[in-house]
Amino acid sequence: MFVSRGKTLVIFLLVLSTALMGCSAQNNAQKSGAESAEKEKTITVSWPRDVGPMNPHVYNPSQLIAQSMVYEPLVSYKEGGKLVPHLAESWTISQDGKEYTFKLRQDVKFSDGTAFNAAVVKKNFDAILKNRKNHSWLGFINFVDKTEEVDEYTFKMTLTQVYYPTLQELSVVRPVRFLGEAGFPDDGDTSKGVKVSVGTGPWMLSDYKKDESAEFTRNPNYWGDKPKVNKIIIKIIPDGETRVLAFEKKELDLIYGEGVISMDAFKQLKASGKYETSLSEPIATRELVMNTTNDILADIKVRLALHHGFNKQAMVDGVTGGLEEKADNILSKNLPYTNFEVKPLEYDVEKAKAYLEEAGWTLPAGKSIREKNGKAFELELLYEKTDQVQKPMAETLQSEWGAIGVKLNITGLDISTNIKRLRAAEFDLYFWSNYGSPYDPHSFINVTSEKGFGISESLSSLPMKQELDQQVREALLSTDESKRQQLYSSILNTLQEQASFLPISYIKKTAVYQKDVEGFIFPANRDENPFLGLDRLE
Amino acid sequence: MISYIGKRLLAIIPIFIFATLLSFIMINLSPVDPAEAYLTAANIRLTEEVLAEVRHEFGLDQPLYVQYVQSLIKMCRFDFGTSYVTKEPVWQEVAHRLPATLQLSFSSLFLVILISVPIGFLSAVYKNSVFDHFSRLLAFLGASIPQFWLGYLLIFFLSVKLDLFPVQGRGTWLHLVLPSFTLALGLIAVYTRLLRTSILEQMQEPYVLYARTRGIKEKIIMGKHILKIAISPMITGLGMNMGKLFAGTIIVEEVFSWPGFGRYFIEAIFNRDIPVIQCYVFLVACIFIVCNLIVDLLQMVIDPRISRKGSISP
Repeated sequence: MFVSRGKTLVIFLLVLSTALMGCSAQNNAQKSGAESAEKEKTITVSWPRDVGPMNPHVYNPSQLIAQSMVYEPLVSYKEGGKLVPHLAESWTISQDGKEYTFKLRQDVKFSDGTAFNAAVVKKNFDAILKNRKNHSWLGFINFVDKTEEVDEYTFKMTLTQVYYPTLQELSVVRPVRFLGEAGFPDDGDTSKGVKVSVGTGPWMLSDYKKDESAEFTRNPNYWGDKPKVNKIIIKIIPDGETRVLAFEKKELDLIYGEGVISMDAFKQLKASGKYETSLSEPIATRELVMNTTNDILADIKVRLALHHGFNKQAMVDGVTGGLEEKADNILSKNLPYTNFEVKPLEYDVEKAKAYLEEAGWTLPAGKSIREKNGKAFELELLYEKTDQVQKPMAETLQSEWGAIGVKLNITGLDISTNIKRLRAAEFDLYFWSNYGSPYDPHSFINVTSEKGFGISESLSSLPMKQELDQQVREALLSTDESKRQQLYSSILNTLQEQASFLPISYIKKTAVYQKDVEGFIFPANRDENPFLGLDRLE
Repeated sequence: MISYIGKRLLAIIPIFIFATLLSFIMINLSPVDPAEAYLTAANIRLTEEVLAEVRHEFGLDQPLYVQYVQSLIKMCRFDFGTSYVTKEPVWQEVAHRLPATLQLSFSSLFLVILISVPIGFLSAVYKNSVFDHFSRLLAFLGASIPQFWLGYLLIFFLSVKLDLFPVQGRGTWLHLVLPSFTLALGLIAVYTRLLRTSILEQMQEPYVLYARTRGIKEKIIMGKHILKIAISPMITGLGMNMGKLFAGTIIVEEVFSWPGFGRYFIEAIFNRDIPVIQCYVFLVACIFIVCNLIVDLLQMVIDPRISRKGSISP
């Protein structure tokens, strides 16, 4: 029966080897393709999601990284919050602080060769303001009274009231960036889509495969320094581990972003010595918001006890492996108006216990949880269940605060439910991070005062809340730089003293790139792309 | 036969209603309001006024039964509405991604048949041989390795270390090999053992002894008589698993960056994009139903006694 076993085996091996040779041949062909691409100076990067419809005036599912490659702002945000001219070469602000007049660069053209001028700036503003409610999160949008094309290269915007962060908000990646005339739909309403992605930026979209890749080539009409590489290919790779494997196989030149690869993978790639790795300046502060409307957390002594009651340095190092840095300030010092020293609330278990005793939370004999008037000291900490940092940190806090007699219940929620609980201020303790540059510090102080975000609500039991709110309003309306600095210092110092925010660590962006890639610099604006200065060695 | 098909087609209606109703209930059991999820994803500031406007736009302000009936009527017309996130018609979005998912599912099915039939057959013929032990080991591995882990292992060894296949993406047939095998291995494990057992059972049947006494060649007995009958449970299983194979692409598509419907569905869940979720449930239900029907018809063709007696024992 089946005497041809040997023959079958030989045929099987032949087929297998032919197939494998075929594979190798194909791969060699691919490699030589990659080599020729290198000669053309191509940088291939990964991104977790499809770049989206490349519309400068909409949000999800459009990706900031791709929008920032094609579209540019009037004003650019640089290190330390410095605002520098970009598409506007200069600007003036009227005495009353309500009129902004921008002189536009005259050497700027869109990628299709058409001129960038005040008319197209106005047209973009009109499209944005047509859907004002979609952009109301951006403070100045709510105050725009009118926009005018003063002359071909002068654009004027008038606000209904003074709002100092206007220029800073004009530097954000969306929605205030400029689409060329050819991209507008017939009715001018870009919220419904754009015809083509025509921008003034250094790159233009040259090839696009939905959910697979997007290819950007140099804009031949770019007014600034030309990019050093000819092409940027963004490959859509949703899985972090696959990204790392593709990078190791040299299918990628750069992995860049926030949380785009696991901390273990970053450390492993760094330790291998075969690649370049880089960490950015702090982009945001990871912190806990304590809900002061909770009876237990309303007492400042309790809040201070929680600050002192865990080893922050050990937790940050242990969980993030050095990828994040221990934070003492609510806002990192690299943001405008935030560069001041605070007295760290260091790890001190005895001090924590003393604060709790002072607050009336005593440890009954034979029990491990403190009580006050028969009520147990029990709090709930919400965390996002898919977040690889929040969960271990929550578990650490549960353990460490347990040692001072605090029962911490930790609840993992999906992101939507988590945000919903935050907005409704239905939490005791919540993992939160500020918005980073170019949104802060004004967005941060705004949410401490404005209702609807959950933060102001959670601070409402602070004795000086009304005063704080007044200071926030004054800071946002102030046209006096020194007064504004004074107000920021006062607001942030009060919040630090009140200990209702528990700073944990400064979050940083990561970048891993091949040795032949050079010129990598993290952009100061959290949402900008880092591709303009990239080059690759011959 | 025609009346049988007619009955089966009629049975689709309650199954379909049950599947869509169940998914509708589950979506609405979630504490997250889709309008809120949409506004959060779109970065639009939440106010009661905006929320009410969006809820009205999505039809979420209507009673639940009205929402369900309306969505059901639309589904029957193949109108799945517009995605809350992309603002594009769902069917258009799905039609763009469906070919990739179907390609992956069918290539996996092809691999399942290509690998499990010869292995199952040979391991029955050479029972308790080295080959049989090897097939048992393969079955254990296939049944116990999680799909995502297998995917990573294959990428690491065959792609990164041996440089035989690309790590991710879609394009050439080489891109198809690893994801298809990852998706197929679990089923290969099952069907190899199923076919082996089935063949061994058939080998004990009197008709085999009778055939041998008639002097029919062993090859013909095994290939023409035994395999034909023994493969029947495998076909039933494959038909039932076709829907599972389609739904199972979600993990594989994620690991191999395969631009299919599964990945889109995952994003839709996170965004509470109800029209997309409903469309996915509808499609998976359809695939299950249609595949089961096809399998039953195939069974009837292979063994006409099923339609006559309702039994497949020889």
